[in-house]
Amino acid sequence: MANKKNYGMVIDTRVCVGCSACVYACKSENAVPEGYCRDWVVQETKGNFPKLTMENRSERCQHCENAPCVTYCPTRASHYAEDGTVQINRSLCTGCKACLAACPYDARYIHPDGFADKCSLCHHRIEQGLKTACVSVCPTGSLHLVDFNDPDEEAQKLMAGRIVYRQKEHAGTGPSLFWISASNKPGA
Amino acid sequence: MTATAATEIISTKINPNVVPHLHIWEWQIPLYLFLGGMAGGLLVITSIMIVLKRKFGIGPKDAGEGCPCLAIRIGSALSPILLAVGMIFLFLDLAHPLYVWAFYTTVQPTSPMSAGSWILVAFFPLAVLQAMLVNKRQLRTFDVGIVHKVLDWTEGHMTIVALVNAHIGVGIGIYTGILLSFFSARPLWSSSILGMLFLVSGISAAAALMLLLAPEEEKPIYSMIDANAIWIELVTVGLFVLGGLTGSANSSGAMMHLIGGNAVMAGIPYAYWFWGLFVGAGLLVPLLLEFLEAAGVHIKYPNVAPIMVLTGGMLLRFLIVFAGQSYHTFM
Repeated sequence: MANKKNYGMVIDTRVCVGCSACVYACKSENAVPEGYCRDWVVQETKGNFPKLTMENRSERCQHCENAPCVTYCPTRASHYAEDGTVQINRSLCTGCKACLAACPYDARYIHPDGFADKCSLCHHRIEQGLKTACVSVCPTGSLHLVDFNDPDEEAQKLMAGRIVYRQKEHAGTGPSLFWISASNKPGA
Repeated sequence: MTATAATEIISTKINPNVVPHLHIWEWQIPLYLFLGGMAGGLLVITSIMIVLKRKFGIGPKDAGEGCPCLAIRIGSALSPILLAVGMIFLFLDLAHPLYVWAFYTTVQPTSPMSAGSWILVAFFPLAVLQAMLVNKRQLRTFDVGIVHKVLDWTEGHMTIVALVNAHIGVGIGIYTGILLSFFSARPLWSSSILGMLFLVSGISAAAALMLLLAPEEEKPIYSMIDANAIWIELVTVGLFVLGGLTGSANSSGAMMHLIGGNAVMAGIPYAYWFWGLFVGAGLLVPLLLEFLEAAGVHIKYPNVAPIMVLTGGMLLRFLIVFAGQSYHTFM
């Protein structure tokens, strides 16, 4: 267990300005076809005027511990990688689209070349000891790549004492993306 | 105005067929589910008729050779043919059809689609054998060596073949529903009764098809099977609707999307399709027609009822597949 990685992300929405740099870095790094995206930016406004709060956040595949896409995949194309992420083996994918229907986060799409595609958490970069494209380009330091089996001090400090949430935890998916809520902002 | 907890969400996600709602399966999948369900239904009905032939008084005309009546000969042959046609549609739906072999490199017990791809393969040998056995007199006239051998080797075991096939038929029928109902991310599909609904709908469609094809003297039995299957289907539809409405916000919202919302399919609200064309024209009216006919009332066009049942069965698959996708993802 000690050496096994379990990658995910901590996303600090307090500092996200919704610039979409993560989206375009990903598109460029991963050759995402035009008209598609592996990550995206959501702006959520809550409350009633004048008591309004807004949260910007970057979203992508949640690399679930109990991923419905892997459960449902009939060919093992969708699988858990050694580092705790969910990956797709393109040479096994028939494009049956069961994983798209299974994902409660709608994180996937069918690539025009005929296979299911989604965020790989820049598997190819992590292997080389690099951060993901989105993390490395984020101008406000909102995005953090974290090994949850051995979280670094910075991630622990970020999350400590703050309101942190995961999305649709009640779907039983065990998502590996954690958001530091914008409600932690002073005055929010 | 009452205070509300208003939330507005703006997303830059642009993936086609994912936003604004899932749109991954088009006409191929509902058509496959319909044909697959009907193939399963045909196998169930013909197998049970073969096993119980003497009790129904529709026994073999030529008792010496053990061949059942004409409708069973046609139905047994149509079952694997319809499933094969359905599988062509399934194949056409794949985004990368050339990789279809990948289904048969593994067994994934948690994936209904993996189980289904194996059930489909398991289906053919015995279904084709049954079609051969009930048509053996005609087949023997072609005088093909291997066909003679297969028939010689198996003709003493038709009842056992039919007994196993009855179960495989039920498995195929249920599987067409389970395929959708295991998607907990899609609230309309996430109902365990969907397997039963598609099974009984497949059986009623199969009975309707056999009713259309059967010679006059064999029709009453299929009319009776169809009427009974429609009864059970009506109850199952009712349970499906009630189960949705009494469920969580996800389930009840999805059910209202199907039976009462403003969402449309081909320009007509789902509610009209569901209540008017599926429940009304596809179940209630044909049930009434078949009841009247059984009661001795002369029906001028006796083929109308089975055609309505077949249309309704196909419509059910289109409605469930499309409405399930167009409702929002599990919240």
